[in-house]
Amino acid sequence: MPAKPVVKRLPARKGLFAGFKGNVDAITIGLKYLVDPKRFTLIYPNEYIKLDPGYRGFIVLDPKKCIHCSSCARICPAAAMRMIKRMEEDPKTGKPKMKLWPVINYQRCIFCGYCVDVCPTEALYTVPYHDIVYENMAEMDWSLETFVKPPEHPTAKEGIPVKYIVDEEKGLVKVRAEEVEEK
Amino acid sequence: MMAGIIDLILSIIFYPPIYQLVLVGLTGALVVVIFIIWFERKATARVQRRLGPYHISPRLAGLPQLVADLIRYAFQEVIIPKTVDKELFVLAPIVATVLSILPIAVVPLTSNPAYWPIPMDYSMLVALALTTVSPIFLIVAGWASNNKFSIIGGVREAFVITAYELIAIMSILSASAAVLSFNLVDIVEAQRIWYILLNPIAFLAAFLAVLMATSGFPFEIPESENEVVAGPFTEYSGLLYGLNMGAAYMKRFAFSILIALVFLGGWSPFTPGEGILSGYLIPSLIVVAKATILMMIFSLTRSIYGRFRLDQALEGAWRLVFPMAVLGFGLALLEAYLGVM
Repeated sequence: MPAKPVVKRLPARKGLFAGFKGNVDAITIGLKYLVDPKRFTLIYPNEYIKLDPGYRGFIVLDPKKCIHCSSCARICPAAAMRMIKRMEEDPKTGKPKMKLWPVINYQRCIFCGYCVDVCPTEALYTVPYHDIVYENMAEMDWSLETFVKPPEHPTAKEGIPVKYIVDEEKGLVKVRAEEVEEK
Repeated sequence: MMAGIIDLILSIIFYPPIYQLVLVGLTGALVVVIFIIWFERKATARVQRRLGPYHISPRLAGLPQLVADLIRYAFQEVIIPKTVDKELFVLAPIVATVLSILPIAVVPLTSNPAYWPIPMDYSMLVALALTTVSPIFLIVAGWASNNKFSIIGGVREAFVITAYELIAIMSILSASAAVLSFNLVDIVEAQRIWYILLNPIAFLAAFLAVLMATSGFPFEIPESENEVVAGPFTEYSGLLYGLNMGAAYMKRFAFSILIALVFLGGWSPFTPGEGILSGYLIPSLIVVAKATILMMIFSLTRSIYGRFRLDQALEGAWRLVFPMAVLGFGLALLEAYLGVM
């Protein structure tokens, strides 16, 4: 059965002053916000968003918990995590023994957090910040010594921590982080 | 010899059209335009829940940002592409800027005849005629650029100007129909009640027409960035681009001064007297202040309205605003018949 031709009709033209109410509403809203602005710009170096624990920021290793199983390096989808060999003294026998340690390359890391999830002893954990700048690419390839302690967070030294909360009337509102934590 | 040259230079500077053009036209317009662009950015930021210019001086709310932008435009390299018509390409924005500020040289800013730039009998006609010249040079700029976006932008400019300049001129001329005079001083003096209250239809038509004809931000149909790169200014850079952008604001300032004189009572609460202070400075400051407030209202539309397509703008012009202007003109004739003004 062939398709039926349908004559489409344009909606009827509205009168000349049909848009009048819409214009008045738009101007009213514009003036309302002009008089009482509800702005929430983050003035970044002076303020920063305090992120919740569990945020997938930089990944750090706790060397005491690590069992050298290489799961993190195997699951890493971006091949950022790799295992390196270190000669270390075995605490039981006192003889030197080869051990595998994970190191991370932040040139490749996509912050997916699979390594943290897969770690059987929770030796890897994330810190809730990500705004760290490196001067060259080589610095982003961390050594084991860098990997075992949380990186410095320069913004937190100078900036004020803030949080965004959703308000019923105002929408997004920027408040000090301490005020939220008190509640 | 030396004294003769100094006298000559002084006589040129104090020749009324020249000093009005320099004092109000160039210096005043530059200050007002810098303030207006700053206000436009800050007001839009408030409505859109942002901060606007801030970091360059938080205490002055980012006002020096505009001076910095000006310096940047002034010292940027001017690139002239090989394919353009060089003379016209360079000349068009300069001529457009000069012509868009020229109406200020012929409007009276006081009722004291000693400070009139020209004899005032047909001043309104001269001012309105001068406002219509500068758009041609935008079309010239688009044509000289030899670029498809520029040419499309120039054609759009032609469409919009044809529709809206006519309306602006008709609705501003309705005042002279009401007063039965082309003399701007007579029109200002005749406004015991401001003409905006006597003929709001003509004012609204003039307001919309100036908004469209000077291609202010949401209505910048000739140079809308997401359709034709920058319209007639696609190939321009540096100071020439800055001039092009400034010319639109300058033209808006000239139109605002005309509207302030015709609709908002000019120097109305003040009666100009003798001497340069009460005869010229105070009344001209009042007129410029009224024009500035008008320009601030123009700028606010940026944060409220979206962009019109070309066909929507033209349909609005011919179906809505042009009949409004005709209606305003009719109302003015009726008022003249009844002798209201």
